[in-house]
Amino acid sequence: MTPGMRPRAAMHPYLMVAPTVLVLALFFVYPLFAAAYESVHAWDLLTPRRYVGLENYRELSQSGALWGAFSRTLGFGAVVVVFSVGLGLLLAISLNRPGRLYELLRGAIFSAYVVSWVAVALLWMWILDADAGLLTRSLRGLALPTTSWLGNPDAALWSIAGVTVWKITGYAMVVFLAGLQSIPRSLHEAAALDGAGPLARFRYVTWPALRPTTAFVATTSLIMSFQAFDVIRVMTQGGPVRSTTLFVYAIYEEVFMNLRVGRASALVVVFFGVLVVLTLLNLWALGVSQARRARA
Amino acid sequence: MKRRALLAAGAAGLLGCAGGDGGVPLWFSYGGKNREALLALVAAFNAEFPAHRLSPVYQGDYFELLAKLRTSLHAGRAPAVTHVIAEVMPYLVSADVLEPLDGLPGLGGDLGFVEPLAQAGAFTNGAPDRLYGVPFNRSTPIAYYNGDVLREIGREPAATWDDLVSFAAAAQKGDEASRRWGFSVPVDWWFWVAMLGQAGGSLVDASGAFTLGGDAGVRALAFLQELVYERRLMRPPPGRDYNAWQVQNAEFLAGRVATIWTSTAFVRYLEDNAKFPVVCAPLPRLERAAVPTGGTMFVVPKGGPPAWHEAAGHFLAFMSRPDRSNEFATKTGYIPVTRAGITLLEQAGYYEKKPNDRVAVDQLANVMPWPWHRELFRVQREVVQARLESAVLERRDAREILDAARAAIERAR
Repeated sequence: MTPGMRPRAAMHPYLMVAPTVLVLALFFVYPLFAAAYESVHAWDLLTPRRYVGLENYRELSQSGALWGAFSRTLGFGAVVVVFSVGLGLLLAISLNRPGRLYELLRGAIFSAYVVSWVAVALLWMWILDADAGLLTRSLRGLALPTTSWLGNPDAALWSIAGVTVWKITGYAMVVFLAGLQSIPRSLHEAAALDGAGPLARFRYVTWPALRPTTAFVATTSLIMSFQAFDVIRVMTQGGPVRSTTLFVYAIYEEVFMNLRVGRASALVVVFFGVLVVLTLLNLWALGVSQARRARA
Repeated sequence: MKRRALLAAGAAGLLGCAGGDGGVPLWFSYGGKNREALLALVAAFNAEFPAHRLSPVYQGDYFELLAKLRTSLHAGRAPAVTHVIAEVMPYLVSADVLEPLDGLPGLGGDLGFVEPLAQAGAFTNGAPDRLYGVPFNRSTPIAYYNGDVLREIGREPAATWDDLVSFAAAAQKGDEASRRWGFSVPVDWWFWVAMLGQAGGSLVDASGAFTLGGDAGVRALAFLQELVYERRLMRPPPGRDYNAWQVQNAEFLAGRVATIWTSTAFVRYLEDNAKFPVVCAPLPRLERAAVPTGGTMFVVPKGGPPAWHEAAGHFLAFMSRPDRSNEFATKTGYIPVTRAGITLLEQAGYYEKKPNDRVAVDQLANVMPWPWHRELFRVQREVVQARLESAVLERRDAREILDAARAAIERAR
């Protein structure tokens, strides 16, 4: 540390970080401990708490609610991440060109991202209407099979995943565009001089340079998919037959609809555990990738 | 001191507890016409009782209001008066969060309520002697028919389940792209309870234990499955809770379904918005005619200051007056909750002019009271509702589904 950077008093660094620590402690750490405490109690907000040990976890596990919410959330997250990253990358590569038309297209695609979830949900409820919806009528016009997109338990979750992908792909595209434009043109020119075609240039120049961007987009898309609530609240309310009850919605339903704070808290604790595991996996993957690049 | 007062006011504002203009807070959950009718009545009350001025605050649908009520009770910031669905009252009373109403001004003695709609008649199996809920927007499920379809196929509304099947088969037409469905009902606890009763069952046995109707419950669920899968005369409306009801209303108004079952609360709304004559009829019978009651009762949460209780008492007495309860009923389609109110409407020839409003009143003779059971609301929301959806939408065995529901109720005891 340079002499100019040295604090005048030993306490100063701690005082500097104190506001952040306080906010984190108050709004993140305390609620987590409170949830862990509530998860071993039965409580409905109105009658006294009752200690029940691990009963809430056992009930959630035995009833299938825990595994159901977990598997649906993971499946939903996987679809949203794969498609938003894939489509975002494809659009970014296709539209990474100068010209007013491309500007218009980029703006139009990104605009979905800034529209509120409720407006998006209402729009898509009309598009997905089982009788008069645009999608249903278009498919029928093409003599293709159709279904009740939001009323069929086998289709509803994937319909909402499609809506989510539609909304956040513009965001992925913009981040990929920034990544593409940060790749030095000289690398592409050198590869072309060496005889690399467009596919080879993508594989050996673009894709390696976009890896950190891809990791960022994938992580943020995963977070967005895990936070899905308003779109479900408006479009399906967790149904039909709980087929769209993702983790966050299940927590809401337990505490506000079923009057069970303890079970909702148990879900919060498990959800936190899932997020910790995913974060550790992400850090591990990032570490492996960096080590590989360092060796290269 | 000034800062503390500011903080308290801020907290109250955050909780949405005090009315925006400082009046006595009334939380409500009506939308559309019902909301307009209630607000007009509150305005009339405020004009008549300026010392107890109420400040109505909209709090979402019934379930959203209930969630907010519970958190506000926990925070000690509950409103002076609100309304809750009847099935949750046993739970709230057992949690000791409701004020007995019979001690409030104007609410002692016989208030002249229609018995099946009031607390005493709407519940059985150990309902308390003290009054905790004043009926206001009370309903039963009824059948709505597209009058043009009735004329087109030359039929009368269905009187039995067999009639319903043959009516729906005759009314259904068109290919997949432009189908008019024969029948629709939300896959919802309320309608299943009606069918369970029609099939001769009851939710609880004589000891008060939940049987979910036994064979009658299975028969009701199997009938819905039959209509959806074997006869293909019904498509369950998508969405859950009241969203499914709204979707179904829209489909009926668009002429995409010939007959629906929904609440009498929509009589005025459907009549006003349909491009065809709307014909209401009682639900059909199997072994017997039977309907549950629905809607809400006004309650007064504990914890408010005496001035709030006094205002709540005056308000509930005001709303229980035959002229006032009739005003709400005739503007919406809910059932008038006082005997004198119904007599007044009969004397004025109202039901001759509005025969659809008469259907729910006549159905009161077939009301099945709810069991006064602390777990009634949880059994409905947590145990049965999702299983009904599963049975119908995933075509699961009705008996196995209800056996699993009974086992879940047993486990939760």
